Amino acid sequence: MRSSKPASVQIRRRDRALPWLAPALLMLAVFYAVPVLDVFRLAFSDATLVRAPTAYSLETFSDVLTNAVLPEILLTTLIFTGLSVVVLQLVGLMIALLLVRGERRGLHGMAAFRTLVLAAWVVPGIANGLIWQMLFDEAPYGTLNSLLGFVGVGPVAWLSDPVMAMVSAIIANVWQGTAFSMVVFYAARRAINPTLYEVASVDGANAWEAFWAITVPQLRLAIAANTILVSVQTLNTFDSILALTGGGPGRATEVLALFTFNTVFYNLDLAGGSVLALILFALGLAFATLIFGWLRREAA
Amino acid sequence: MTGDVTSGMTAGKRARAGDVATYALLALLTAFFLAPFVWLLSLSLRTSTEVFLGASRLIPDVPTLGNFERILSDPAFLTYLWNGLKLSVMGGGLAVALAIPAAYAFSRLRWRGMDALLIAILAVQMISPLVILVPLYRWLSALDLLNTHLTVIAVYGALGMPLAVWLLKVAFDAIPVEIEEAAFVDGASRWIVLTRLTLPLARPGIASAFILAMVMNWSQFLVPFILLERDGDWPVSVAIFNFAGSISASTTQLLAAACLVALIPAVTVFVLLQRMIVSALIAGAVKG
Repeated sequence: MRSSKPASVQIRRRDRALPWLAPALLMLAVFYAVPVLDVFRLAFSDATLVRAPTAYSLETFSDVLTNAVLPEILLTTLIFTGLSVVVLQLVGLMIALLLVRGERRGLHGMAAFRTLVLAAWVVPGIANGLIWQMLFDEAPYGTLNSLLGFVGVGPVAWLSDPVMAMVSAIIANVWQGTAFSMVVFYAARRAINPTLYEVASVDGANAWEAFWAITVPQLRLAIAANTILVSVQTLNTFDSILALTGGGPGRATEVLALFTFNTVFYNLDLAGGSVLALILFALGLAFATLIFGWLRREAA
Repeated sequence: MTGDVTSGMTAGKRARAGDVATYALLALLTAFFLAPFVWLLSLSLRTSTEVFLGASRLIPDVPTLGNFERILSDPAFLTYLWNGLKLSVMGGGLAVALAIPAAYAFSRLRWRGMDALLIAILAVQMISPLVILVPLYRWLSALDLLNTHLTVIAVYGALGMPLAVWLLKVAFDAIPVEIEEAAFVDGASRWIVLTRLTLPLARPGIASAFILAMVMNWSQFLVPFILLERDGDWPVSVAIFNFAGSISASTTQLLAAACLVALIPAVTVFVLLQRMIVSALIAGAVKG
């Protein structure tokens, strides 16, 4: 990738990289490295949002980890993240392939459709939650329920039934998040050498066979990388859920990020929130390491 | 396409059937992605009476711009919009300003630990702003730096920088080194070459990185919600959240209008410039 650089430039001009990197490194240190280290410290303390730590122990850790609510929160997080990641990527992949096919066939409207999906992506998370709350409004005049009423179905308890609330939260998340996977898969699909498809076509493979024999294997790395990115993004998502359900009904849609937010900024429990933040951090890291390890093995 | 040559009519027919299937699927997906926008627009154009009539008034009988009038004539709402714009633009500008020298070093200089640092910069993006804000809030409070826009801009700069570094590195990589070499031969310093030659050539990449950072800042809720406590300092994302908590069903149309106003700037900028931004993202995705 970097082979185009003539050595002469390097040798003649022995620039030091550090001055160029200093501003970025300083920002990384102040706003990433030090806070993350401080989260570790706070997790072992008894700090609250309004009181500095007075003592250090493992008490907060064991309190948080033995909290009866935590398994419920983690399960909710797993369901929300797992289903979102699967649906986001399936829809994103489908759209990417449709776009590539449509463009190859010269079909109209491809750019407009891509723009529409991207438009949903840039809607602020809070607005996303509020918009879907209006769509899922359970009153008789609510959008989806009044539509379902026309065909004599429903009303559906979109937000007050625990299972439906989760489904609703995932739908809202998919609406907003699909564009990211679409762009990644669109780029990866267009990078596949078209000759592969021509050879398959000459060999008499149909589109479905070509999909499994060429597209999927060729996109493997893109899928793995995208899985990491989308999982971590979804794990960290909470503003749309906050606006849509507030985590309810009960704790049915209270994912770990939202629980952490509530612990720190509503219960003012800084130490407990730090432990939760560490769990959030560790989950993302573990997942990324897992898939990154697989990626490197594959690439090697 | 090649099928047309090898097996004649049947392949052509099959391709046309494929086109129909493509359109059918796209129509379904369009309905899903378009519906929230359409519904929001519909609600925001209704009177409160028509809000209670549900989907039968998708196209309101008596459409009104009154909701927008009320929202936009509220000086507080204009302040929220202004705050949002100011924080997004300055935060995005800071992210790009920090990223330019780093991305240049990643693209043009060869040094030990470069690949590791590039991966580290990508990896920090995975850290939730929530994890960072938990300890940050306490320090900023101790340093008396809460409730100031400068703090929020600095945090936006830090949050936006990693992606900007990546996009700009890709943009710089695309500019042939030979162009710079010619200038070096003429005795120009690296700084001159960067500012006079490379940056102008990398304009589309820089613009894309800036706009992406700006749009993300516009969507940010957590950072301003935590760091700004005074109503008058809030950007629009925080304001609509608070507004939603304070309204009743009879003012849904106002909330819809407010949401629409809140998302229009980001969506408009993005839609107008999407060709450039998407190609920058695709370039980044291919390299990544």
